Amino acid sequence: MSKNKIKSINITGIRGVREGLNLSLDKKSLLIYGDNGTGKSSITDALEWFYKDSIEHLTGEEVGGKGKNALRNVFLNPSDEAKIEIQYSNRLLDNEKSINNLFKTFNSNSSKEFASYFSQSQSENLILRYRDLVQFIIATKGDKLKHLQNIIGFSQVQELRSLLKLVGGRIARVIKAGGFSNKRSAQQAILLESLGQNITSSKQFFETALKVIAPLKLEKDIKSFKDVKTALKSIETKEDTIVVEQIAFHNKIADTLTDLEIEISNIHSLYNDYYKSFIALRKDADKISKLQLLALLSEGLKVIKMDIVKDNFCPLCQQEKDKLKLAQELNQRVEDLKEIKAEQDKLNEECEELTKLLRNNYTVISGLLKEKHLAEKENEATKKTIEQIQNSIKVIGEDLKKDIFSTEPLREFSLIKIDDKEIKGLISISRVKSKTLSDSIKENKKLHIHTKLSRALDAYVAHKKLEREEEILTKQQVTFEALYTDFIKKQEESLEGFLTMFSDEINSFYTEMNPNEKIEDIKLVPIKDKNDELSGITIEYTFYNERQTPPVALLSESHINCLGLSFFLASVKAFNKENDFFVLDDVISSFDSTHRTRFIRLLINKFSDFQIILLTHEKDFFDIASSEAKKNNWVIKSLSWTAEKGTSFETPLVDLRTKIEGKFKAKNIDGLGNDIRRYAERQLKQIAFNIEAGLAFRFNDRNEERMMNELLSSIQSRVNKQSPADLKTKNNIDSILASPILIGNKTSHDNSFKENINDLEVFWEDVKKLIKTFYCSEEKCKSFVALKNFDNVNSKIRCNCGSVKYDWKK
Amino acid sequence: MDDNIKSGKDVIDDFFAEIYNIPNADKKTVDALVELYSQGKLSDKNVQNTLDEIVQKELKQIDKEDE
Repeated sequence: MSKNKIKSINITGIRGVREGLNLSLDKKSLLIYGDNGTGKSSITDALEWFYKDSIEHLTGEEVGGKGKNALRNVFLNPSDEAKIEIQYSNRLLDNEKSINNLFKTFNSNSSKEFASYFSQSQSENLILRYRDLVQFIIATKGDKLKHLQNIIGFSQVQELRSLLKLVGGRIARVIKAGGFSNKRSAQQAILLESLGQNITSSKQFFETALKVIAPLKLEKDIKSFKDVKTALKSIETKEDTIVVEQIAFHNKIADTLTDLEIEISNIHSLYNDYYKSFIALRKDADKISKLQLLALLSEGLKVIKMDIVKDNFCPLCQQEKDKLKLAQELNQRVEDLKEIKAEQDKLNEECEELTKLLRNNYTVISGLLKEKHLAEKENEATKKTIEQIQNSIKVIGEDLKKDIFSTEPLREFSLIKIDDKEIKGLISISRVKSKTLSDSIKENKKLHIHTKLSRALDAYVAHKKLEREEEILTKQQVTFEALYTDFIKKQEESLEGFLTMFSDEINSFYTEMNPNEKIEDIKLVPIKDKNDELSGITIEYTFYNERQTPPVALLSESHINCLGLSFFLASVKAFNKENDFFVLDDVISSFDSTHRTRFIRLLINKFSDFQIILLTHEKDFFDIASSEAKKNNWVIKSLSWTAEKGTSFETPLVDLRTKIEGKFKAKNIDGLGNDIRRYAERQLKQIAFNIEAGLAFRFNDRNEERMMNELLSSIQSRVNKQSPADLKTKNNIDSILASPILIGNKTSHDNSFKENINDLEVFWEDVKKLIKTFYCSEEKCKSFVALKNFDNVNSKIRCNCGSVKYDWKK
Repeated sequence: MDDNIKSGKDVIDDFFAEIYNIPNADKKTVDALVELYSQGKLSDKNVQNTLDEIVQKELKQIDKEDE
C-alpha cells in the first residue's frame, strides 16, 4: 500500500490561527511565505501537536502541559474548540484533533487503522525546524548512537544486548560468590568423618553404606538412595533421643558456621573490591563535585536545545556566547559526567550485591539463633559468639549505606574484617562435642551407625546438589557468553551496513548542495570504548584530502546546518514508512543564495515523490523557490496576520509576470516599475548563477540584495569575455543599461523621476527580450543556458535540451 | 535504501532463528530464552526467574533420585 500524503489541512484556534485556515493540497507540495509574526510556525506547531501530542519548543515549566497550555489561540472564547483536521490520501485515516479550554484533547477517528497509523508515525521524521537542524551534528557520540538506534528500532537490539550481558555477568558473580568448591570440600569433610573416606559417586556411596551397616547383619543390599533410607528406617531407635538431638545440634552449628566461613570469605573479597572502587571514585573530589552538576548542565542543555534563549548568550552567566558552541560544550561536559555517572552506577551495583549477600547471611544466622539448645546455659558462650558474628555483618551493612558524597568515608577493609578465628574455634568445639557425644553411644551399634549414615547421606546429597548447581550455572554462564558474542557480531554487522548506506545518502545530499567544495566522503563511523563495546557514533569527512572529525571543528555554521539538513532528508528517505510528506520550517536561514537555489533543486529533483511543506520567512528565498516550485505544480501561499483574523492566507500570489501584464492592460502604473525590476532581478540572478558571472563577495542574506545594474554589468562582462563573437552580439544588455533611471534600485524610490506607461512598456520589452536570449521556453526544457551543460566538443554553452546554445570559451 | 536496512526487529528475529546453531550454547537455557521471546516476555526479571527455575528443577530431580 502506498504511503500517505495530505489532501487538506484545516486549522482553527491554534496558536496564531484564530479563524479557519484551510489548505487544500490534494497531495501536492506546498510553499508558504510568511514574514516573522504572521503565524507561519503555527502551522508547524499544529502539525507537531497533532502527531506528538506536545510542542517541544513550548515544553517548559513556565508553559506546562507539554506546551498544550499555550496551544489555544488567546482570543478564543472558552466554549470554542481549537482544532486541526487532516484529510489524507487514505480516507480511513482522516482525523480531527481538538482541544477544549480545559486542555482535554479529542480525536474524531477511533478506528484501529488510525490508531496503528498514529502509533507508527510517532517515530517518523515529519518535521524539521531551523533550531533542530544541528542537534544531531553537535550531539555527543553516545547521543548520536542512541538517536540513530532509536529511529532504526535498534533500541530493542541494545536492550537485548544489555540483557544478555547483564544476565551472563550476574551468573558469573553468583558462581564466584557461591563458593561451590569450598562448600563441596566441607561436605566431603563430613563424609570423610562419617564414612572414613571421600565419596565421588553414588555407586561408591552405596558400596560404602553397605560396609557401614555390615556389622548389623541386616541382610539388605544397598543399590539406591531408597535402599539407604530403608536401611536407616530399619535401625531407627528411640533410645538416647536427647544425645541424638544434641549431636544434631552441634553438627548444625558446625555445618552452618562452615558455610558461613566460606560466605564471609566472599563478603571480604567483595567488600575489598567495593572499597577500592569507592575510594578511587571519591579520591577525585573534582569529579564528584562535577557529578552534582549533571542535572544542572542537562537542564541547561535542554534550555538551549529548546531555543528558549533566543540570542547568543549563556542563560546562566548572562555572558555573550555563541549558542552553537555553548550547546556543543555542554554536550561534551554532560557526556563526560555521564561516564563518571556510569562508574557511580557500577559502584551502586557492587554495593547492592554485597548488601544482598550480607542480608542472606544475617537471615541464616537469625535462624541458627532460634535453636532451642542455644538457650541452655552451657551454650551461652556459643550463642554470644554467634550473635557477635551477626552483629559484625550488620555493621558492614550499615557502612555500606554511606554514599560517595558522605562526609565520613567508607571504613577500611581491616576495620570491618570479621575475625574468622572465633568462627573456626566454634566449628572446632562443635565438632569435638558432636564426636564426643557420638563416641558415647558407640556401644549402641544401631544408634551409632544410624547417626553416622544419616549424616553421611545428608552430606552426600548436599554435595551432589552443589556439584549440580555449579554445573548448571556454569552451562548457563557459558551459554550467555556465547549468545552475547554472537549477538554483538550480528548487531555490529547490521549497524555498519546501515551506517554505510545512510552515510552515502547524507554525502550525496550534502555534496549536491555544496559541489566543488573540499568536503567529501562524509561518513558516520561507530566508536568503541576501552572494553571494545560500541559506545557511540562520530561523523568523519575528508577536508582537503585529510580525514577529519568532528564537523564543528572546521565547518562553518552554514555548512553544519547543511549537514544537519542532509541528515534529516536521508532519515526521511530511509525511515518514513507511513508518510510520504514532511515539513521544513525556515531551515535555510544561514544559507547563501547559491546554497538556497541548490537546496530547492535538491528537493525538487530528489524528493519529487514526496509531498513537501516548505515554510520560509525570507522573501528572496521565497522568490527563488516559488519560481522553481511553480514549474513542479506546487501550491504556493503567502501568510498575513491581523488581530481580528489572526493568521490567514493573503490573496493567492499570482505570477509576477501575469501581474505585470495585467497592470499594462489596465494602464495601471502603480508599482509597475518596481514589479518589473523585481522580476528582472530574480531572472538575472538565475542567469548570473548559470553562467557563473562574478559578483563582489557579500555575506549570506546581503548576497540576495543584488541590484539590477550590478547583475547586468557582471553578466555583460562575463558574456563579452567568454562569448565575444556570439552571445555578446545577441544580447540587449546595452540598451537596458542605457536607461539607468528605469533600472533604478530598491532604495531610491524617492527620486523625482515619474515613470510613464510608454517608458515602462519599452523597459518591459527589453527585459523580456534579454531573458528570452538566455532562456529556453520549450515545454520539456524550461531552463537557462548554463555552464553545467557546457558542450566540450563544440565549445558551446547550452540549455538543458540544447535548443538554445552559444559559443563559449571555457 | 530502506529495503536493505535491517530493522532492530529483523536483527533480533535473525538471532533467534539461528540461536540453536551457536556453539557452546546449552539447549535448555536456549529453549527457555526462545520461549520467552516468542511470548514477548523477554525481560531481565523473567529471564532470571526462568533460569532459577531450571536450577531448582534440576535440584529437585536429585531429591527425587534420593527418594
